[in-house]
Amino acid sequence: MATEILPDDPALRFGRRQRAFEQMEAHDLDVLVMGRTANMRYVSGVPLLWNAGTRPFGPGCVAVRATGDVYLLSTWDEGVPEEIPHENLYGITWNPMNYVKMLKGINANVEPRRVGTDAMSPLFAQLLPMAFPDAELVDAGPAIQAAKRVKTAEEIEAIRAAVAVADACIGAAISQLQPGVSERELTAVFMDAMASRGVTTPGSQDVARVTSRRRDGAVRDGDLVCFSGGVVAEGYTGEVGRTWPVGEASHDAFARFDALRGRLLDACQPGAPGSALLDAYAAAGEPLPAGPVARGLGLGFDDPVIVGDLPATAAHTRLEPGTVMVVTVQAGPVIGQEPVVISAEGPHVLSSSPFWNADRS
Amino acid sequence: MIPSTPDLARMRRERGARLRTAMGDKGIDALLLLGNSNVSYATGASWPLSDAGRANVERPVAVVLADDDTPHLFTPFGDDAAGELDIDEDHLHGATYLDVDEGVEVFAKALADIVPAGAVVAVDDITGAMHGGRDVLFPTWPPRSASDAMGPARFAKTADELACIRHGLWITEQAMAEVQARLGPGVRQTDLTATFLHRVFELGAEANVLDPIWQVMPDHQADLPWTTHGDIACPLLSSERALEQGDVLWVDTGIMYAGYHSDFGRTWIVGADPTERQQAQYRRWKEISDAVVAVIRPGATGADLTAAALAVTGGDKPWMAHFYIGHGLGLESAESPYVGTDLGEAYDERLVLEPGTVVVIEPVVWDEGYGGYRSENVFAVTDDGCVNLSDYPYDPYGD
Repeated sequence: MATEILPDDPALRFGRRQRAFEQMEAHDLDVLVMGRTANMRYVSGVPLLWNAGTRPFGPGCVAVRATGDVYLLSTWDEGVPEEIPHENLYGITWNPMNYVKMLKGINANVEPRRVGTDAMSPLFAQLLPMAFPDAELVDAGPAIQAAKRVKTAEEIEAIRAAVAVADACIGAAISQLQPGVSERELTAVFMDAMASRGVTTPGSQDVARVTSRRRDGAVRDGDLVCFSGGVVAEGYTGEVGRTWPVGEASHDAFARFDALRGRLLDACQPGAPGSALLDAYAAAGEPLPAGPVARGLGLGFDDPVIVGDLPATAAHTRLEPGTVMVVTVQAGPVIGQEPVVISAEGPHVLSSSPFWNADRS
Repeated sequence: MIPSTPDLARMRRERGARLRTAMGDKGIDALLLLGNSNVSYATGASWPLSDAGRANVERPVAVVLADDDTPHLFTPFGDDAAGELDIDEDHLHGATYLDVDEGVEVFAKALADIVPAGAVVAVDDITGAMHGGRDVLFPTWPPRSASDAMGPARFAKTADELACIRHGLWITEQAMAEVQARLGPGVRQTDLTATFLHRVFELGAEANVLDPIWQVMPDHQADLPWTTHGDIACPLLSSERALEQGDVLWVDTGIMYAGYHSDFGRTWIVGADPTERQQAQYRRWKEISDAVVAVIRPGATGADLTAAALAVTGGDKPWMAHFYIGHGLGLESAESPYVGTDLGEAYDERLVLEPGTVVVIEPVVWDEGYGGYRSENVFAVTDDGCVNLSDYPYDPYGD
């Protein structure tokens, strides 16, 4: 983070915007209306105020294919790049009809046939047809995910930088691991280390979990503690997870973890199906985790989502070079998250966080 | 009376009853809830909120039936949720993935088993994949809006909800005292965030909910960014900018406790006492704030609050054009009632405060050429007036 708020670097934002417009063309979208903050930043290149959690849909950013124009919900021009002129900014409003008026102006200019949105709400399901009376309103999710799934070189560097911050913060938390410390104190150390490095926005806030799950969250000798650290740096998410014991630990679960991790990384080959990761669990004889085995990493929500509950999706997913994802390695109580970029040569792990090693401890 | 410690089981019961009453009033048979705050309200589940990127994948979802005391919860945090929330196995479901087409197909089948055919279904948010799969998910398009029921239910808080908000404020204020003690030339905005985050998590915050604002306010509006409406630009993002002697900071942030958000706003000066002119700005702010607070009681309308503020200033709105003189606070950092927005006077007149309604009062005094003053306090409407849930000094301003 710098000492002033600047737009994303031109190489980053023009590379992304080009992909977005290419996918609008491929999916036959004339206008793209985005409500999700990360999608707004993807197309506009403007840093936006971070809030935790989900947000209801509203038209936060609009991209018009015919003109290449980007319109942004921003009451001020701080962090807005020069190619988005003042007249393309619209301010915070509490009256939804003001959005309709703004969108009607765009409609009059370009007369779109197909308008895509990244999400929807009952209110805007009524209002958007008023703004675009002659257009078909469709789900733009496939177009946005097609643009975002494969990262540009600059995006991979941004994710690498975010993972480096997550590595440093999780290291700071692990260094405080000792009997008597609490989950909340370990979380506090992680957040302090993050903000002291100039990154003030977490990707997740469930940083430390004692696997015995005592009510008081206190760590005792013999416990295993799962660390899961996520940060959002310059908009990009970096995540890493490690499990460390307090004092001595059974070597067995860690050995199973190592074996599973090896199989999962082997499955992360360019062109491989996402289901290869599910198969890796089966081959290792480990039950699938309840949540995703892999999730895309990038700006906000990204493909792929590989989870045992969605077998058809996993089978259809292809791990293309340029995909970045965090892989969950779960062998009994030992859990890790590995951020991995799929390159043409094979998987590359972005994290340098150390693992607990029985021989070293 | 606000209890010193919230009774979370009672809070869940009372919220559930309010919600089902509101559903009955509005003719809604089933609510399908995706928004984090609505899911918390309906089920009692709360969890450390993630960045939206992850929150969209690991997203608890609730289905509430008007004639069923227990909500259905689809959660990725299953093992933690069950016992504590009194949700039996029939109502507790595994994670659902509504951003993925196949996830919507799987969920639609589960929904068909829960919601009777022909029921009136209302929803709060619709993912792209749900929009694509709307024909299988919704009997009619567009579906009813869940806010028809959530809005009335959430408008006034129970005593336990107020206790949660007050405890979250206490955590925030304890941490802010340490941050303010650290204030000095050379300290970066991000250092203030580091101290704040460290302390709130130690004190039991469930999550941080906003990237803290430590905006350095200039004397002249021309030194702030251009705006669409010509009013001042605020809140602006924090950076690694180092503070300087005499900088005036507008501080604004909040955290989460048991699902409930806090809100904190004060003006600080780096390493200096306020000038007489700055003291006068504070006194003006206090005059406006006191006038507004004096009219807060059950039955008062939003228009009564704005009129009280405008009576002090002689007609100039003492709040930012893109915001309000006051806003609600609860499971979101800003929620209904919004008082003094661009929705206009008629809207404000229809806003009627009830016992338990929470309003954050945040007038702004801008003194062109000399900067300005802004602070905020959280008020809960009582049976005959209101009570200030915030408890933080105005140093270095004040007597």
